[in-house]
Amino acid sequence: MKLRELLLRFVLGGLAVVLSYMASALLPWKALGGIFAAFPAVMVVAVLMVGLSQGSEKAAAVARGSVYGMTGCAVCVVTVWYALKITGAWWPSLMLGLIGWFAGSFALLKVREKVQKNQHLHRLPRKQTKHV
Amino acid sequence: MALAHLSLIGILLRFLLGGAAVVVASLIAKRAGGAVGGIFAAFPAVFLAALLTMRFDYGARELVAHSMDLSQGALIGMAINVACAAAAGYLCTSKGWKKGLTLSVGGWLLVSFTISYVLFSL
Repeated sequence: MKLRELLLRFVLGGLAVVLSYMASALLPWKALGGIFAAFPAVMVVAVLMVGLSQGSEKAAAVARGSVYGMTGCAVCVVTVWYALKITGAWWPSLMLGLIGWFAGSFALLKVREKVQKNQHLHRLPRKQTKHV
Repeated sequence: MALAHLSLIGILLRFLLGGAAVVVASLIAKRAGGAVGGIFAAFPAVFLAALLTMRFDYGARELVAHSMDLSQGALIGMAINVACAAAAGYLCTSKGWKKGLTLSVGGWLLVSFTISYVLFSL
Protein backbone atom coordinates (compact mmCIF):
# COMPACT_ATOMS: atom_id res chain seq x y z
CA MET A 1 0.00 0.00 0.00
CA LYS A 2 1.43 3.38 -1.01
CA LEU A 3 2.13 6.12 1.52
CA ARG A 4 -0.30 8.47 -0.27
CA GLU A 5 -3.12 5.95 -0.03
CA LEU A 6 -2.40 5.36 3.66
CA LEU A 7 -2.43 9.10 4.28
CA LEU A 8 -5.80 9.40 2.52
CA ARG A 9 -7.20 6.60 4.72
CA PHE A 10 -5.82 8.34 7.82
CA VAL A 11 -7.40 11.68 6.89
CA LEU A 12 -10.77 10.09 5.95
CA GLY A 13 -10.89 8.00 9.15
CA GLY A 14 -9.96 10.98 11.30
CA LEU A 15 -12.46 13.26 9.53
CA ALA A 16 -15.30 10.75 9.91
CA VAL A 17 -14.79 10.55 13.69
CA VAL A 18 -14.39 14.35 14.00
CA LEU A 19 -17.56 14.95 11.93
CA SER A 20 -19.61 12.57 14.08
CA TYR A 21 -18.28 14.40 17.18
CA MET A 22 -19.25 17.76 15.64
CA ALA A 23 -22.71 16.44 14.73
CA SER A 24 -23.23 15.16 18.29
CA ALA A 25 -22.20 18.53 19.77
CA LEU A 26 -23.73 20.97 17.28
CA LEU A 27 -27.03 19.48 16.07
CA PRO A 28 -29.88 21.41 17.72
CA TRP A 29 -32.08 18.29 18.08
CA LYS A 30 -30.72 16.51 21.14
CA ALA A 31 -31.98 13.05 20.19
CA LEU A 32 -30.44 13.28 16.73
CA GLY A 33 -27.17 14.81 17.99
CA GLY A 34 -26.74 12.26 20.77
CA ILE A 35 -26.77 9.26 18.47
CA PHE A 36 -23.79 10.51 16.48
CA ALA A 37 -21.62 10.25 19.60
CA ALA A 38 -21.69 6.47 19.03
CA PHE A 39 -21.56 6.46 15.20
CA PRO A 40 -19.30 3.59 14.03
CA ALA A 41 -17.29 6.01 11.84
CA VAL A 42 -14.07 4.00 11.83
CA MET A 43 -15.86 0.81 10.74
CA VAL A 44 -17.82 2.58 7.98
CA VAL A 45 -14.66 4.19 6.54
CA ALA A 46 -12.64 0.95 6.88
CA VAL A 47 -15.34 -1.09 5.05
CA LEU A 48 -15.64 1.66 2.42
CA MET A 49 -11.90 1.82 1.77
CA VAL A 50 -11.44 -1.97 1.68
CA GLY A 51 -14.54 -2.23 -0.58
CA LEU A 52 -13.08 0.34 -2.99
CA SER A 53 -9.64 -1.24 -3.18
CA GLN A 54 -10.27 -4.97 -2.59
CA GLY A 55 -13.94 -5.61 -3.46
CA SER A 56 -17.10 -6.83 -1.69
CA GLU A 57 -15.71 -10.10 -0.33
CA LYS A 58 -12.90 -8.44 1.65
CA ALA A 59 -15.21 -5.59 2.72
CA ALA A 60 -17.69 -8.17 4.07
CA ALA A 61 -14.84 -9.93 5.91
CA VAL A 62 -13.83 -6.63 7.56
CA ALA A 63 -17.47 -5.99 8.55
CA ARG A 64 -17.80 -9.51 9.97
CA GLY A 65 -14.51 -9.08 11.84
CA SER A 66 -15.76 -5.82 13.30
CA VAL A 67 -18.70 -7.71 14.88
CA TYR A 68 -16.04 -9.29 17.15
CA GLY A 69 -14.34 -5.90 17.54
CA MET A 70 -17.63 -4.20 18.47
CA THR A 71 -18.40 -6.94 20.99
CA GLY A 72 -14.87 -6.33 22.29
CA CYS A 73 -15.83 -2.64 22.59
CA ALA A 74 -18.72 -3.63 24.84
CA VAL A 75 -16.23 -5.67 26.94
CA CYS A 76 -13.97 -2.57 27.01
CA VAL A 77 -16.78 -0.30 28.21
CA VAL A 78 -17.90 -2.74 30.93
CA THR A 79 -14.28 -3.29 32.03
CA VAL A 80 -13.65 0.48 32.29
CA TRP A 81 -16.87 0.92 34.28
CA TYR A 82 -16.10 -1.91 36.73
CA ALA A 83 -12.42 -1.00 37.09
CA LEU A 84 -13.37 2.63 37.83
CA LYS A 85 -15.98 1.49 40.33
CA ILE A 86 -13.63 -0.87 42.15
CA THR A 87 -10.29 0.99 41.99
CA GLY A 88 -11.22 4.60 41.15
CA ALA A 89 -7.89 4.74 39.29
CA TRP A 90 -8.46 6.40 35.89
CA TRP A 91 -5.39 5.46 33.79
CA PRO A 92 -5.19 1.77 34.90
CA SER A 93 -8.95 1.43 34.21
CA LEU A 94 -8.47 2.83 30.70
CA MET A 95 -5.57 0.44 30.02
CA LEU A 96 -7.56 -2.51 31.39
CA GLY A 97 -10.43 -1.52 29.08
CA LEU A 98 -8.10 -1.56 26.06
CA ILE A 99 -6.76 -4.98 27.04
CA GLY A 100 -10.37 -6.13 27.51
CA TRP A 101 -11.27 -4.88 24.01
CA PHE A 102 -8.48 -6.76 22.27
CA ALA A 103 -8.62 -9.93 24.39
CA GLY A 104 -12.43 -10.09 24.12
CA SER A 105 -12.48 -9.54 20.35
CA PHE A 106 -9.67 -11.98 19.64
CA ALA A 107 -11.05 -14.70 21.93
CA LEU A 108 -14.47 -14.42 20.27
CA LEU A 109 -12.92 -14.64 16.80
CA LYS A 110 -10.94 -17.75 17.79
CA VAL A 111 -13.99 -19.43 19.37
CA ARG A 112 -16.03 -18.72 16.23
CA GLU A 113 -13.29 -20.14 14.00
CA LYS A 114 -13.09 -23.28 16.15
CA VAL A 115 -16.88 -23.76 16.06
CA GLN A 116 -16.91 -23.32 12.27
CA LYS A 117 -14.05 -25.83 11.90
CA ASN A 118 -15.90 -28.37 14.08
CA GLN A 119 -19.11 -27.89 12.07
CA HIS A 120 -17.16 -28.42 8.87
CA LEU A 121 -15.56 -31.61 10.23
CA HIS A 122 -18.95 -32.99 11.31
CA ARG A 123 -20.46 -32.32 7.89
CA LEU A 124 -17.67 -34.06 5.99
CA PRO A 125 -18.38 -37.77 6.80
CA ARG A 126 -22.06 -37.43 5.77
CA LYS A 127 -21.03 -36.16 2.33
CA GLN A 128 -18.58 -39.03 1.95
CA THR A 129 -21.17 -41.70 2.77
CA LYS A 130 -23.42 -40.32 0.01
CA HIS A 131 -20.74 -40.98 -2.57
CA VAL A 132 -20.10 -44.57 -1.41
CA MET B 1 -22.38 29.89 21.09
CA ALA B 2 -22.64 26.38 19.67
CA LEU B 3 -18.94 26.18 18.80
CA ALA B 4 -18.05 26.62 22.45
CA HIS B 5 -19.21 23.03 23.06
CA LEU B 6 -16.43 21.70 20.85
CA SER B 7 -12.99 21.32 22.34
CA LEU B 8 -9.89 21.57 20.15
CA ILE B 9 -8.17 18.75 22.06
CA GLY B 10 -11.30 16.63 21.58
CA ILE B 11 -11.22 17.22 17.83
CA LEU B 12 -7.48 16.48 17.60
CA LEU B 13 -7.71 13.29 19.67
CA ARG B 14 -10.63 11.99 17.59
CA PHE B 15 -8.82 12.80 14.35
CA LEU B 16 -5.64 10.98 15.43
CA LEU B 17 -7.37 7.92 16.92
CA GLY B 18 -9.90 7.58 14.07
CA GLY B 19 -7.28 8.00 11.34
CA ALA B 20 -4.83 5.58 12.98
CA ALA B 21 -7.56 2.94 13.47
CA VAL B 22 -8.57 3.02 9.77
CA VAL B 23 -4.92 2.80 8.62
CA VAL B 24 -4.14 -0.13 10.98
CA ALA B 25 -7.41 -1.92 10.01
CA SER B 26 -6.64 -1.58 6.27
CA LEU B 27 -3.03 -2.75 6.65
CA ILE B 28 -3.99 -5.73 8.80
CA ALA B 29 -6.91 -6.63 6.49
CA LYS B 30 -4.43 -6.87 3.63
CA ARG B 31 -1.76 -8.85 5.50
CA ALA B 32 -3.51 -10.98 8.13
CA GLY B 33 -7.02 -11.19 6.63
CA GLY B 34 -10.25 -9.24 6.85
CA ALA B 35 -11.47 -10.70 10.15
CA VAL B 36 -8.47 -9.51 12.22
CA GLY B 37 -8.51 -6.21 10.28
CA GLY B 38 -12.17 -5.87 11.23
CA ILE B 39 -11.29 -6.05 14.93
CA PHE B 40 -9.15 -2.94 14.45
CA ALA B 41 -11.91 -1.31 12.38
CA ALA B 42 -13.94 -1.50 15.58
CA PHE B 43 -11.22 0.13 17.72
CA PRO B 44 -13.09 2.12 20.38
CA ALA B 45 -11.66 5.42 19.08
CA VAL B 46 -14.75 7.51 19.84
CA PHE B 47 -15.13 6.11 23.36
CA LEU B 48 -11.44 6.54 24.24
CA ALA B 49 -11.30 10.04 22.74
CA ALA B 50 -14.37 11.02 24.78
CA LEU B 51 -12.74 9.67 27.97
CA LEU B 52 -9.41 11.39 27.23
CA THR B 53 -11.17 14.69 26.48
CA MET B 54 -12.87 14.49 29.88
CA ARG B 55 -9.45 14.46 31.50
CA PHE B 56 -9.00 18.05 30.36
CA ASP B 57 -12.43 19.15 31.53
CA TYR B 58 -12.77 17.66 35.02
CA GLY B 59 -10.80 17.37 38.24
CA ALA B 60 -9.66 14.01 39.66
CA ARG B 61 -12.80 13.25 41.72
CA GLU B 62 -15.32 14.37 39.08
CA LEU B 63 -13.38 12.60 36.34
CA VAL B 64 -14.08 9.10 37.68
CA ALA B 65 -17.81 9.78 38.17
CA HIS B 66 -18.23 11.33 34.70
CA SER B 67 -16.21 8.54 33.06
CA MET B 68 -18.51 5.95 34.66
CA ASP B 69 -21.59 7.84 33.34
CA LEU B 70 -20.08 7.94 29.86
CA SER B 71 -19.32 4.19 29.97
CA GLN B 72 -22.93 3.38 30.89
CA GLY B 73 -24.26 5.43 27.97
CA ALA B 74 -21.70 4.01 25.55
CA LEU B 75 -22.86 0.44 26.20
CA ILE B 76 -26.20 1.06 24.40
CA GLY B 77 -24.32 2.52 21.41
CA MET B 78 -21.95 -0.47 21.31
CA ALA B 79 -24.88 -2.91 21.25
CA ILE B 80 -26.40 -1.12 18.22
CA ASN B 81 -22.97 -1.10 16.55
CA VAL B 82 -22.61 -4.88 16.98
CA ALA B 83 -25.94 -5.31 15.12
CA CYS B 84 -24.85 -2.79 12.44
CA ALA B 85 -21.55 -4.63 11.85
CA ALA B 86 -23.37 -7.99 11.62
CA ALA B 87 -25.82 -6.51 9.10
CA ALA B 88 -22.94 -5.02 7.07
CA GLY B 89 -21.12 -8.38 7.04
CA TYR B 90 -24.24 -10.16 5.77
CA LEU B 91 -25.41 -7.48 3.31
CA CYS B 92 -21.95 -6.79 1.80
CA THR B 93 -21.81 -10.48 0.81
CA SER B 94 -25.36 -10.75 -0.52
CA LYS B 95 -25.83 -7.30 -2.10
CA GLY B 96 -22.29 -6.04 -2.74
CA TRP B 97 -20.36 -3.62 -0.52
CA LYS B 98 -21.96 -0.35 -1.77
CA LYS B 99 -25.57 -1.38 -1.20
CA GLY B 100 -24.66 -3.44 1.86
CA LEU B 101 -22.87 -0.58 3.61
CA THR B 102 -25.58 1.96 2.70
CA LEU B 103 -28.36 -0.28 3.99
CA SER B 104 -26.59 -1.13 7.25
CA VAL B 105 -25.71 2.54 7.98
CA GLY B 106 -29.35 3.45 7.17
CA GLY B 107 -30.51 0.73 9.58
CA TRP B 108 -28.08 2.02 12.24
CA LEU B 109 -29.51 5.57 11.87
CA LEU B 110 -33.08 4.33 12.14
CA VAL B 111 -32.49 2.11 15.21
CA SER B 112 -30.27 4.69 16.99
CA PHE B 113 -32.71 7.52 16.29
CA THR B 114 -35.69 5.48 17.54
CA ILE B 115 -33.87 4.47 20.74
CA SER B 116 -32.58 8.03 21.37
CA TYR B 117 -36.03 9.48 20.68
CA VAL B 118 -37.64 7.07 23.16
CA LEU B 119 -34.93 7.77 25.78
CA PHE B 120 -35.15 11.55 25.40
CA SER B 121 -38.93 11.66 25.38
CA LEU B 122 -39.22 9.61 28.58
